[in-house]
Amino acid sequence: MPKGPQDSIKAISKGFAKHNYVCSNQIATAVYLANELDKPILIEGPPGVGKTELANTAALHYKKELLRLQCYEGLDETKALYEWRYGKQLLYTQILKEQMQEVLDGAKGLKESLSRLMSFEDIFFSEDFLESRPLLQALTSDKGNVLLIDEVDKSDEEFEALLLEILSEFQVSIPELGIRKAQVKPLVILTSNNSREIGDALKRRCLHLYIPFPDASLEREIIQARVPEINENLKIQLVSFVQGLRDLDLKKLPAISETIDWARTLILLNAKELNEDLAKETLNVLLKHQQDVEVVQKEIPSLIKTSIH
Amino acid sequence: MERVLADFVKTLRNANVQVSPAETLDAMEVIQNIGYEDRELLKNTLSLTLPKTPEEKEKFESCFEDFFQEKVSSQIDTYEEKEKQEQIDTNFDKNELISNFLEGSSNDLDLQISKAGEEVEIREIKYFTQRSVFSRKILEAMGVSEIEEYLSRLNLDKTEEPSEEEKMLRSQLANLREKVSNYVQQQFLLHGDVSGEQLREQVFKSMNMGQIDRSYLNEVHSLVRKMAKKLANMHSRRKKNFRRGKLDIRKTIQDNWVNQGVLFNLRWSYKKIDKPKIIVVCDVSGSVGAYARFMLMFLFSLTEVVSKIRAFVFSSNLGEITEDFKTNTLENAIEGALSKYGGGSTDYSSALSDLVSICIDEIDKKTTVVILGDARNNFGPDKAELLKLVKDRAKQVYWLNPEGTYRWNTGDSVMNTYSAYCTKVFECGTLTQLERVIGTLLKTAI
Repeated sequence: MPKGPQDSIKAISKGFAKHNYVCSNQIATAVYLANELDKPILIEGPPGVGKTELANTAALHYKKELLRLQCYEGLDETKALYEWRYGKQLLYTQILKEQMQEVLDGAKGLKESLSRLMSFEDIFFSEDFLESRPLLQALTSDKGNVLLIDEVDKSDEEFEALLLEILSEFQVSIPELGIRKAQVKPLVILTSNNSREIGDALKRRCLHLYIPFPDASLEREIIQARVPEINENLKIQLVSFVQGLRDLDLKKLPAISETIDWARTLILLNAKELNEDLAKETLNVLLKHQQDVEVVQKEIPSLIKTSIH
Repeated sequence: MERVLADFVKTLRNANVQVSPAETLDAMEVIQNIGYEDRELLKNTLSLTLPKTPEEKEKFESCFEDFFQEKVSSQIDTYEEKEKQEQIDTNFDKNELISNFLEGSSNDLDLQISKAGEEVEIREIKYFTQRSVFSRKILEAMGVSEIEEYLSRLNLDKTEEPSEEEKMLRSQLANLREKVSNYVQQQFLLHGDVSGEQLREQVFKSMNMGQIDRSYLNEVHSLVRKMAKKLANMHSRRKKNFRRGKLDIRKTIQDNWVNQGVLFNLRWSYKKIDKPKIIVVCDVSGSVGAYARFMLMFLFSLTEVVSKIRAFVFSSNLGEITEDFKTNTLENAIEGALSKYGGGSTDYSSALSDLVSICIDEIDKKTTVVILGDARNNFGPDKAELLKLVKDRAKQVYWLNPEGTYRWNTGDSVMNTYSAYCTKVFECGTLTQLERVIGTLLKTAI
C-alpha cells in the first residue's frame, strides 16, 4: 500500500511497541531508512540503552530470522564468513582414493592422467565442503533476515575491512567459488560501545544512530512496556531516582536495562513506594562498582527527597 | 533543491563536522525519499546520515537550528526564486556578448573559467588570502591581459567620449572579473580551509615549542592529542605470534593442507599485543621546561599503546610524577610538576645517580629510557658512567635535545659525552619533530 514516510515511521514505532520496545522518533526513522535505502545502521551509545535489543525487536517485527555475530578480538573470516571443512575434505580424499584409481586406470603417462583428472569438476571446493558462518548465511538466505553484528568495536581493524564489501555491495567473493551476492538484502545492524574509534570507511557506509540515555518521560514509557505490573507511583519515583543518579559522577551510569532490573526487583520485594532503606538495600542492582555504591550511599536521602515529590 | 543541501553541508563543514561527498549523496537520496516538508523528520534523517560521532551530532543540532530557521519549504522557495533570477541574468548577458573574446555564450564562459581554473590548479587553494592571486591567475590564463592592453591603447587615442564598443567591452570585462571572483570564492569554500584551523595547526606543528604562547595551550593540547591518537592507532595493532601456548589445530591443518596433511608448520592460537615499557626523564630547568610540557603531554596521551610509563622530572634532584598524572588532569599535573621541580639550575650528575638508585632494577631488556634535556651541565661533573650503566641494562636509550644541532657542545653543553652512551640522539624542537621521534620510539621499542 502506498504510504508516506511519516506513516511508515509511525507504523514502525507501533509495531515495535507491540514487542515491548519503546522507540524514539529517531530510532524509528533509522529503521525506516535502513529498509528503504538498504543501508546498515551503526548504533552507538552507552551500554544498556537497548542497542542489541533493537535488532532483536526488528527481527520480531519483520518476522525474519536474526543472525547474530558477536565480535571479539581475533575474530577472522573463518569464524565470521566461511570456512572449508578441512576434516571432511581429508576424510573424503582417503575414502575416494580407490575411485581415483579407477578413473586413472589405463591412462598412459602423466599428461593423460592429468587431463582425465581435470575433466572432473573441483569437488573438494564446492558447496558441500563449505561451512557458512553468520555473514555468509545472511547473504545466502532467500527469505531475508536481520543481521546483528554486535560490538563491532571489539574486533580487529582487518575484520572491519572485511565488512566493507559485504555492507556496501551485499556480496562476498570466495576465491574458489566466485562472487556470492545476496538475493534478498538483509537488514544489517551494527552496534559499538566505542572502546575504539570505528574507521571512517565503515562509518561512511552506515546510517549512524546514537542512542543516549532516555529522558524521564521516555524512560517511564519503557518501564511501563517492560514491567507492566508496576504501579504508577513507584514508576514515577523510580525513574526520577535513576535520572538523578545519572547526574552524579559515577564510574558506570545506570542504563535502561538496570532501571528495568531494579523495577523488577522492587516488585519482587512487594514495594509500593520508594524509601531510603529500600533504595540502600537494592542499590547493587543499579550500580556495578563498589566505589559508585559508596558515592551514592551518601546521596540517597536527597535523591529520595527529590524523587518523591 | 540540491543547493539547499549543498549549502547546509558547507555550513556543517565550517563547523568542523566531517562530511564526505559520498555522505552528501546519501543525504540527497534520503531527502528524495522523505522530502523537505516535515522539519522534524528532515532533522532526524539528516542527523542519521551526515554526522557520525556524538560530538558531531551536537554540532549538527545547532547548525540545523541555525540553518533551517523558518519553515523549511519557504526557504526552498526562495532558493528556487534565486535560481530563476540567475537564469534571467545569464540570458541577458547572452544578448550583450559582442566583442571578439567574449563571443561565446555565458555557458561557454563558465566552462572557460572552470577550464582556466583547472589549469592554475585552483584545487590547491587553502587560505582566503589566496583568493585574489588565484582570480588574477585565472584571468591571465583566459587571456584577459590582451584585452586590457587593447583597452589601454584605446584610451590613449581618445580623449573624448568612449565609444560604444569600448563601453561594452569594459562592462563585459567587469562582468567577467566578477564571475571569476565568484568562481574562486566558491572553489575556496569547497577546497579551502575555511575556518583557518588547518593553518593554525600547521603553524603550531612547525613552531619551536619553547615559543608557543601559553594562551594557545589548550589548542595545542588538542592538537597533541590528535597527533598522539594517530600514533596510537598506527602502533596499537602490532602483534607478536607466540611460539608457545595453545596449538591452533584448525589453522595448522589449513596451513599444512598443501603438505598432504603432514603437519610441518605449527600455528599457535595466541597472539599478543606488545606494549613497550618507557621511562622518561625530563629536564625541567628554566630553559627546557616548555619542551618537557609538550613531551609529557604527548606521552601521557599515548597510554593506550604504552603499558607502563614512569615519568621523572629534575632540575637537580630527580622526582617521580607518574602518580600525579594518574590522579590529576593532564594540565594540572604538568603545572604541578613544573612548579615543584622546575626552574632550578641543572645538575645531570645528581639526576643520573638518582635515576640509578630509584629504578635501575626496573630497567630491563624491554625498557626504553627517554631523556629530554639540553645537556647543559653548568660545567659540573657529567657522571657519564651512570648513563652507560643504564644503557647496558635497557633496550635502548634515547636522548632528545630541544636545541638545534649547531648549538650542541657549545659552552657548557656536554652532549658529545652523553651521546656516546645513547642508542640514538634526536634534535627535538618542534611538535613535528617530536611526533617523528615518538613514532620511531614506538616502532623500535617493541
